[in-house]
Amino acid sequence: MIPINKKLFFIGISLILLAWLSLDDLVDDWGQIEGAPEKLQTFFSEDLLPPDWSVLEAEVWADGSLHKPNGDVCDENIELFCSKAWTGMVVTIKMAFVATLIGFFFSIPIASLAANNMAPLPIAMPARVLLAGLRSLPSIIWALLFAIALGFGPLPGILAMTLYTIGYLGKLQYEAMEGVHNAPLESGLAMGLTHSEQLFHVVIPESSNHLLSQLLFMFEYNVRHGAVLGLVGAGGIGMYIDNYINPPFDYNKAFALLIVVFVVVVIIDLISMLIRSFVTEEGDVKRPKWWSVILPPSMAVEMYSKKEEE
Amino acid sequence: MQKHLNKNDLLALNRIIRRSHGDGYLVVEKSPSRGGDEVQQIDPESVTLRGLSIGYDKPLVSDINKTIYPGDTIAILGSSGIGKTTLMRTIAGLIRPLSGEISHNYPKRGGIGYIPQRLGLVRHSTVRSNVALGARTRRSRWYPFWFPLDKKLKDDVDNAMRALKILDIADEPVRILSGGQQRRVAIARTLVQRPRIILADEFLGELDKENVNSIITATKEIVDEIGATLVLIEHHEERAIELADRIWRIIDNNLIEEGDSNQ
Repeated sequence: MIPINKKLFFIGISLILLAWLSLDDLVDDWGQIEGAPEKLQTFFSEDLLPPDWSVLEAEVWADGSLHKPNGDVCDENIELFCSKAWTGMVVTIKMAFVATLIGFFFSIPIASLAANNMAPLPIAMPARVLLAGLRSLPSIIWALLFAIALGFGPLPGILAMTLYTIGYLGKLQYEAMEGVHNAPLESGLAMGLTHSEQLFHVVIPESSNHLLSQLLFMFEYNVRHGAVLGLVGAGGIGMYIDNYINPPFDYNKAFALLIVVFVVVVIIDLISMLIRSFVTEEGDVKRPKWWSVILPPSMAVEMYSKKEEE
Repeated sequence: MQKHLNKNDLLALNRIIRRSHGDGYLVVEKSPSRGGDEVQQIDPESVTLRGLSIGYDKPLVSDINKTIYPGDTIAILGSSGIGKTTLMRTIAGLIRPLSGEISHNYPKRGGIGYIPQRLGLVRHSTVRSNVALGARTRRSRWYPFWFPLDKKLKDDVDNAMRALKILDIADEPVRILSGGQQRRVAIARTLVQRPRIILADEFLGELDKENVNSIITATKEIVDEIGATLVLIEHHEERAIELADRIWRIIDNNLIEEGDSNQ
């Protein structure tokens, strides 16, 4: 028989029971479930499938000329570069890039004030409240506020993403900073290093792996959210998706665009894995050639030693 | 002929007197030109522990009355968990004493060098940037934190690394080094800082004899050069006696100085 920790078993069972009771309390009519799979199937087969890949092509005007979605004549050799999917995605990626980078530069100092191993409680608490405040409004609400103030377009989207990034990334960062070993901070404190020196020369190098992976995650998150921000006219691929899920409904095209977003997210994840391999302890190995960064560390080491032998 | 003594001469003299007379600072204290109770004026750089009681919730060691004179080498002995590290952290200003006071007029920046038991190195940075961190404290606190060090400090960093035989691994990250090499990095970082007092917890750790000797030689040379005070926590009693000119022993909540007839 598998030995079971009794305490853990009871805690687990109680949590599951509690979740079930909450769910039952929330749902009044379980009859809703009836026929749901069939409805979903109909939606998929009639509305979504097959995805309409015309979003990967340029617009053809009545005179037969190819145009970009904004009306400019398509002067690219490859038609894809004039398509809605491409132009929208490029705008979204640019927005996410700018917002993530600016957000990162603001969130690092705020996070360093919020980390309880770097700042006393009277400073840490207001910094945490500020981060929580920025985070508690979803980026779509920020976008709505900025769209009211600035009108439609990428700028309100970028500002919304930036504020949300500060709040969200700041929280992840101060938690990573609190995970830094105490000893280097203490010797720094005794030596008389200033707060910014501790941050720049001790905390950031020590938590670089976490900070980098959070930064890349935030970039990916912002690209995904670019699709949502379009709903309030914040530009990018989200705007086209929004056009297609509103009347006249064109779900097949919206679905195709969502697949494009998915593919881009997967690619960003792969790139992020690659970049992070430089800062993890296992990944920091001597590599024979620049392209060998794509190899797992153990293979790279093997290749390097072979090359040394030669 | 009148010769003016500079600070380092005074420190060296102080050390010689103390070594040849046992508790030599009494001799300095009672020198006719200066009043017997003006120890602070003779050694404006000393650290005074007055009625000090240390610990976290309840006192580990109480009623410590001691003066640490510039140029002293003090070894703190005692069984584990008795409060040696707590005493050192209190002197370093990392924890507040429960009662009593510590007074010194060392600069807040760079005045105290602290090597904790776990060395406190930035494991993901290179040896060079770890050592450079010590040199940085010799510039004002308004020196921009993103600026690289100037040429003189860079040379000092290189010299310290050369003295501790870590110059050839200067660009390696600290985390891949052996325990002995890491210890050398921590010592180099503190030495290049040129602090007035060096507090080293388990200074030599569990190093082999060869390593110990070369580290001791290198450290002593630089410490003598910069005239720093050295306070060590040491497990090996013989080594402590060999290294230090004062031995503090913590026994049952009390700090007792060996060879001190007042206690």
